Amino acid sequence: VRVHPGEDETQEHEMTDSMMMDSEGGVSQSTDAPRNRRGRGHDKEMDMDDDRGGRFESIPENDSGAPGPAKSVEGWIVLVTGVHEEAQEDDLHEHFADYGEIRNMHLNLDRRTGFVKGYALIEYETKKEAQAAIDAANGSSMLDQTLEVSFAFSKGPINK
Amino acid sequence: LESGSSLTSPRPGSAAVAMGDDFYVRYYVGHKGKFGHEFLEFELRPDGKLRYANNSQYKHDTLIKKEMFVTKAVLAEAKRIVMTSEISKESDSTWPEGDRVGTQELEIVLGDDHITLSTTKIGSLLDVQSSKDPEGMRVFYYVVQDLKALVFSLINLHVKLRPIG
Repeated sequence: VRVHPGEDETQEHEMTDSMMMDSEGGVSQSTDAPRNRRGRGHDKEMDMDDDRGGRFESIPENDSGAPGPAKSVEGWIVLVTGVHEEAQEDDLHEHFADYGEIRNMHLNLDRRTGFVKGYALIEYETKKEAQAAIDAANGSSMLDQTLEVSFAFSKGPINK
Repeated sequence: LESGSSLTSPRPGSAAVAMGDDFYVRYYVGHKGKFGHEFLEFELRPDGKLRYANNSQYKHDTLIKKEMFVTKAVLAEAKRIVMTSEISKESDSTWPEGDRVGTQELEIVLGDDHITLSTTKIGSLLDVQSSKDPEGMRVFYYVVQDLKALVFSLINLHVKLRPIG
């Protein structure tokens, strides 16, 4: 389990932010069985420098504290999963264009197989359009597979 | 007669995923050379925080560091990608060690497994084929590609940045 040297501890933002150690966002330490640890990287001293630690930029939130989906720089991004491996961008356009103009779409391929990896990211301009797509298309069928559709970004951490 | 799809049923082909299980992934590739420490690193934490850092000579020494929160759905998809790759079964014991020319690190927590695989940079599949463990290194090579694709798309769409590497 690592702590990162080199992080500036005077920055409140990053005080507890060593990657695996903090009790909030970090990985839980199970009280019963410890995890199986493998790999050379465990034993190697992690060569951290200031570049890899410290402050990271984020999009500032206006209404701090309120949970919910987060706006991206130019729009609202939804994640679609359960996408059939032979799906084409046209299929997704057909399925998602009803709710608003699709500003951007990423339909990533599995680099090994050449088929669609199984997810797509779609950008709408407004939250209303994104929400409409989620409400209508989540649980719908495309190419005989059930899609799950939700927002991709959040204002804050996942509550456990 | 379909009454409507269940949102909680596991996707075909994947093990039932309990959201209580921790999932964490970190990838690093870089080297220290005459241009300084050039690297790319991203980290996806169990609370959904995605952090990305890139220091590349092509960006004229600009260090880019971004962070954002992704939703449970994104985390679950990243977890599915890692699980279906079966990278947790691989070992780096016979892989070439990282050195100052280049190092890659892939750290994954998935259920009971915590692996940190470390090796050199992989230029192409030819490097993989000629290694002592071509099958294991191929799994590593492709899961890294798949994770990079997901993370780069998320970064690009959220902050309109074009990651390099």
